[in-house]
Amino acid sequence: MSQLVTGAGAVASVGEGVDEVFRALCAGTSGLSELRGFDRDRYRARHAYEIDDRPAEGGDIPGRATAWLLRAVAEAAAQAGLGDDLSRVPVLVGTGLRELRSAELAWCDGVPLDPGRLHFGPALRARFGAERSYTFSGACSASLYALALAADLLATGAEDTVVVAGVDTLTESMYGLLDRVHAEPPECVRPFDRARRGVLMGEGAAAVVLRREESQEESREASREESAVSGAVLGRLRAVSMNCDARHVTAPDPDGIAEAVREAQWRAGVAPGDIDLVLLHGTGTLLNDEAEAAAIAEVFGRDAGAPLMTAIKSMTGHTSGGSGLLSLIVALRALSSGQVPPTLGLTDPVAEAADFRFVRERVEGAELRLAQIDAFGFGGVNAVAIVERAGAAAGAAGAGATGVAAGADGRAGT
Amino acid sequence: MTPRISATLPTVVVTGVGLALPGADTPRELLRAAPSRPYEPFEPFDTGARIGRRGHRYKDRATRLALCAALDALRDAALIPGDSEELTVPGGTVGVVASSNLGNLDTACLTAAAIAKESTAALSPMGLPNASSNVIASWAAIRFGLRGPNLMLCNGATSGLDAVHWAATLVTAGRVRRALVIGVETCNPVVEGLLNSPAGDPAQDPAGETHGDPAGETPGGPAGGTAGGPGGEPLLDGAAALVVEGAAWARDRGAEPVAALGRYERRAGLAECVRALLPEDRAPGVWFTPGTSPGPRAAGAGMLPGTVPRYDLTAAFGRASGALGVLQCAAAVGWLGEAGAGAGDALVTSGDDPADAVAALLLRPPGRPAASPRQPGGAAA
Repeated sequence: MSQLVTGAGAVASVGEGVDEVFRALCAGTSGLSELRGFDRDRYRARHAYEIDDRPAEGGDIPGRATAWLLRAVAEAAAQAGLGDDLSRVPVLVGTGLRELRSAELAWCDGVPLDPGRLHFGPALRARFGAERSYTFSGACSASLYALALAADLLATGAEDTVVVAGVDTLTESMYGLLDRVHAEPPECVRPFDRARRGVLMGEGAAAVVLRREESQEESREASREESAVSGAVLGRLRAVSMNCDARHVTAPDPDGIAEAVREAQWRAGVAPGDIDLVLLHGTGTLLNDEAEAAAIAEVFGRDAGAPLMTAIKSMTGHTSGGSGLLSLIVALRALSSGQVPPTLGLTDPVAEAADFRFVRERVEGAELRLAQIDAFGFGGVNAVAIVERAGAAAGAAGAGATGVAAGADGRAGT
Repeated sequence: MTPRISATLPTVVVTGVGLALPGADTPRELLRAAPSRPYEPFEPFDTGARIGRRGHRYKDRATRLALCAALDALRDAALIPGDSEELTVPGGTVGVVASSNLGNLDTACLTAAAIAKESTAALSPMGLPNASSNVIASWAAIRFGLRGPNLMLCNGATSGLDAVHWAATLVTAGRVRRALVIGVETCNPVVEGLLNSPAGDPAQDPAGETHGDPAGETPGGPAGGTAGGPGGEPLLDGAAALVVEGAAWARDRGAEPVAALGRYERRAGLAECVRALLPEDRAPGVWFTPGTSPGPRAAGAGMLPGTVPRYDLTAAFGRASGALGVLQCAAAVGWLGEAGAGAGDALVTSGDDPADAVAALLLRPPGRPAASPRQPGGAAA
């Protein structure tokens, strides 16, 4: 029993809506610009991948993350035929920094703050009537973690439909502390390139509607009765893994990442050689890219050169907690369209990734069925998803492996 | 979209409780503090006395409090024996779910202020981890080697109870055999400043009703009002932790459950939430009320019989925000242990009508089969 993605929504520096975002990324459009919301003179780095929606240059306003989240969820819910009523649908939001930017503005500039809106529940309740919403602040893998939890809700039979979202905005504290630790301030994000200098933050939101895949019998029933409301099928979620390195509070651990990749593939019932496309976490930091490349190389072994690989943070910046789900939406579009966005700024890959088939120019007409999406965060929180093209025959080996059955021994990852 | 709750989901039990807050060292002391004591400031909890002073310099206070409660809970659950810090089970079998709304507000705000005053050159790079809200859950995993899924809930008034629910979900879904749940909040000038600013207290009772029943009116009612002065109510500076575990996994390692988790609901309002949880108006043995407004008397009118004892932990320990639900569950464990198996279930509710939702959870005495077939794990108890 796997799950269907029946709606998607996205807001990013490169565009609004999934269509526009995907077109922009395939065209190699970057959302990079000079810092808009903060005083540039106080930082060494001067660039970020921000959404250009502030009223005037040089100032900042609260509540921006909440606004993008609502737009992404609305787009996904509309596509899935859920409309504006999410009163009975769980909404799981993964975020690194929630509305901490609003708190900073309150503390520093006296902008009024409702502390009840540091999380997204009140806004989701007001906009969609959502009563069961959850804000998970799980650093940069938060939205894939939320996706894993949603998959579990469907797999245990507790729910039939779940909305999953991710969102993040720049905070001065995170941007500033990253700025403090850069050896040299980066001017752009260059994942896996030897000349990369580090990460720059990006802004954005992403949302999907995840639905329990009906058995054939149920689906025949549904096609007679309510095919009109069942919505489009954008792809199938085969599995999501989640684990924790338990090693270091900021540095990634290649072993923990490799474990997460292996577990995702095992839960999905696929082998490395089955994967056609990898959406890498690829933050452009010295540590992440080496650790991720080493882990992928280890797990994929002789198949490491087989799948196409790309890292969209080269165009969106690091959209933190929302980044995993944004990558997943891009992956689903790539599978269905055969187009794959390139990794910008990658000319000389690190040694660990020497054999990888990076997409450097736009790819079109690729025959792709299975994609892997990576997301890793501070604290060593890793999540890896495996998705399948809509309409592809439910995979041979392990279509039944998702979720409960696969993990029922309760020791996944050991 | 009718939810299908499988009757074969495993029972989830509580096998350990830990506390790190001023005024109570055990779950039962939470009960004794609640009914009789109007709020008085306690001496701050000394984290160094429990987890030592070395190696914690760059951890924020919320993280240190969380580690104290976590250690206490893991020891109580016999997952860490004696004075060792080694887990008795593989680290991958243990997940972490932490809850805090206010934990790293100080880092975010003070860092932004330091940049505004000078530049990023003025910052200590050691502050970087604390800029991410999940630092509490991360450190718990690192300190104790817990390599299962690692979640951080920042979900407002219901956050603590939501964390208990998600920990149970990780277990029932087979992701882990057990999970450490931590609820923590800390009180510092940033938190006080942000919560007590004019726009900053949406939960303040508009009717001005003090929480808690007048002394003696109900057996468990806390005594009278609190110092709800112009600065708002006092805030908790402490943490509570639970170990929740699949009943079979607990049995497997010879652990003694102290409670079983019953049903959980999250709904728009308190009355609706309680009705959904207790569909046949079956009264619980005790009600841990949602703290601040509306007072339990108002909220409970017509909803539960007045004979059901109530505890409002915020009266003794201050507003607990994201820690409240976990603290309430810890107190419920204390109540179940004291009241004995025949006294009924403990109802815990967090959040109130002005918040975005109310969450409720039932805790049952350990070992008693579920009364309702819809309760997860009914067949397995």
